[in-house]
Amino acid sequence: MNLILTIAWRNILRHKGKSLVIGVILFTGAFLMTVGNGVISGMAAGIEKNIIDGFMGDLVLISDAQKSDNILLPMMGASIEPVTAYREIKGILAAQPYVKRFLPVGKNLAMVLDESTTAPGYAYLLGADFGEYRKMFPDNFTVLEGSYPAPGERALLVPTFARDEFYDFYNIWFLPAGGRVVKENLKKEALANFPTLNLSTSVVMMGMTSGLNTTNDIRFPVTGINRYGALNQIFGHFCLVDIESYRECLGYFTAADMAAQVPREEKKLLELEGSDLDSMFGGEEMIVSTAKKAPKLKAEAPKEAKLAGDGVYNAVFIKLNEGEDYGKALKELNKALAGKGVRAVTWNKASGPIGGMALIIKGALFLFVMLLFCVAVIIIVNTLTMAALERAPEIGMMRAIGAQKTFIAGMFLGETAVLSAVFGGLGVLAGIAAVKIIPLLKINTKNDMLQLLYGGNFFNPLLSLPDIALTALQLLFVTVVAALYPMRVAVNITPLDAVSRD
Amino acid sequence: MNIIEIKGLKKDYPLGDTIVPALRGVDLDVAEGDFMSIIGPSGSGKTTLLNVIGCIDSATAGAVRVGERDITALTDRQITEIRLNKIGFIFQTFNLIPVLDVIENIEFPLLLMKSSAAEARGRADKLIEEVGLREYAAHRPAELSGGQRQRVAIARALVTNPDIVLADEPTANLDSVTGASILELMRRMNELEKTTFIFSTHDANVLKYARRIVKIKDGLIEKEPAPA
Ligand SMILES: Nc1ncnc2c1ncn2[C@@H]1O[C@H](COP(=O)(O)OP(=O)(O)OP(=O)(O)O)[C@@H](O)[C@H]1O
Ligand SMILES: [Mg+2]
Repeated sequence: MNLILTIAWRNILRHKGKSLVIGVILFTGAFLMTVGNGVISGMAAGIEKNIIDGFMGDLVLISDAQKSDNILLPMMGASIEPVTAYREIKGILAAQPYVKRFLPVGKNLAMVLDESTTAPGYAYLLGADFGEYRKMFPDNFTVLEGSYPAPGERALLVPTFARDEFYDFYNIWFLPAGGRVVKENLKKEALANFPTLNLSTSVVMMGMTSGLNTTNDIRFPVTGINRYGALNQIFGHFCLVDIESYRECLGYFTAADMAAQVPREEKKLLELEGSDLDSMFGGEEMIVSTAKKAPKLKAEAPKEAKLAGDGVYNAVFIKLNEGEDYGKALKELNKALAGKGVRAVTWNKASGPIGGMALIIKGALFLFVMLLFCVAVIIIVNTLTMAALERAPEIGMMRAIGAQKTFIAGMFLGETAVLSAVFGGLGVLAGIAAVKIIPLLKINTKNDMLQLLYGGNFFNPLLSLPDIALTALQLLFVTVVAALYPMRVAVNITPLDAVSRD
Repeated sequence: MNIIEIKGLKKDYPLGDTIVPALRGVDLDVAEGDFMSIIGPSGSGKTTLLNVIGCIDSATAGAVRVGERDITALTDRQITEIRLNKIGFIFQTFNLIPVLDVIENIEFPLLLMKSSAAEARGRADKLIEEVGLREYAAHRPAELSGGQRQRVAIARALVTNPDIVLADEPTANLDSVTGASILELMRRMNELEKTTFIFSTHDANVLKYARRIVKIKDGLIEKEPAPA
């Protein structure tokens, strides 16, 4: 063994050029793999942290009637089922020791209505009490224009991302009421059209639900433009709206409706198959508007709205105490909530494919590196095979004086293994160093696309032991595969090749 | 006692559609401790005969006994074992391992035999002394002259205490003075280690070192003259 390694090592030094070619390939592959894994792990961790801290907490309660756990950006904009027993749920949640804080929200799609466009556009609405929302997610966004709404205020915050999208779709630039166009915040295309910009300080939206109830079109005054500190590309889809307006828009019963905003004749109890409306909707009546066929703009939204209190929501976001075990918390919570028509799911499930995005990118990187390694294998196989043929007299002589085929094979494998251990090892180490150094540089970005890659506003790649192990395994695999064919060639060199005959 | 007994050895090489008979029925016995030379014109079959005896080529027909074993029907692994344990090789082109220094080249076969490092070094030290290369122990083959390399090869061939040392034209790549000194050394080692030596040569000058001369022509051994 010692002899094999000695010969392998000295052969590497003797054929420096060839060794360097193979070494550089292995180094590059290992380095890219390590850094790539670090970036993706950092991205996954960043997305996790930002979703939990800045958007939906650790666990999410959703209705049992809700088919898919994914409520963040569901497929085909499917509507989210209502959670109706919040009054009871609230008490149960408050009694759980592992629950730190929770926030009931409305979350659904709304159609954005505009006279000038025939094709309807959409926006996601997130309805919540602003005071509660701020306590749950204190600094997750900044208000760039307008102001942060006061608790109980009728308000709509449009994220910059959604505003840019609205502009693309409707050619309207939304502003908070009384605000002025802030040039730095203008989208590039909008800036080009600055003098002729179509401005608006309100937006009309109609809630979209899956046919249980009829929804209303509501004119929302835009009260602010906000920007999420991280992952604006994802979170920026959601316009934050007060829960009262939200319910109105979605056709859920609101306290404002009670204040006779809608004429009595236009209301009717919704017939639900055999279910008790009182319990289903937290003891409050469900009144829906039936008069509306073609959506037309309402003159105005209700002026003095009262909070609906413990009315209808779509989900409850829950933050757990630091270090709480998800599995245990989920189990206990679901037990405590049995019979309340809701189930708790993790943020990961509730955010659907976004949580899994890192995994997909990881897979893509794996394929890319494997491709790189394939090229590497071809080059290494070529180089080593040529080396084997060049050394035929030497190898034949070794066979002639008694070296078994296994010895020759070992010598070749040893050579490749040493190269791969040294250069691949250096590549991994360099990769680890890079991954450790990058966070110290505190690279941050406001660019939405880069934020997706970073998993947040800071570029914080990180590495786990399994990632490193995976790279090592890949290296090992490449080494063995690359050494196999040259080894065969070398092993089949006969002692006769040592005796020169002309 | 005979260390080698060859009966009716034939070796054919296929060449396109025809076959070339390199050995056409060789009978040869070699006594233990002999110092024997094979001579003959080019293409007569000297190399072929040495290769078959040395277990690096196979016989087409006939029986070849080396030591206690008939070597004509063995697996690659067994044949390799015999090469390692019973036979020493000296090549015309010296053939040392370029990345190993002189002492390492000499002990190489012992390490293949799984001898301990100390044991191997001890034996190699003795042989490097005998071939007069003590001060070159740490040199690589590339730093040696042809004659010095062939000395290393002789030491390596003897290090395992083989039954037979085979050398196919060991002096062909050396000038005549150096060639003579190599033959002298081989002869001395033959006496010192009691190892059987068989070498082939073209060179009439070196024949005087041989104790026995076997002439080969067209793949057949010529009748030997009475021993001198
Ligand atoms: N691999 C081979 N394929 C075909 N024919 C071969 C092969 N090796 C040897 N021969 C033939 O076998 C015969 C004997 O060859 P060999 O090399 O044993 O002769 P030699 O006595 O060693 O000659 P030289 O003195 O030139 O080295 C020759 O006719 C040669 O052409
Ligand atoms: Mg020959």
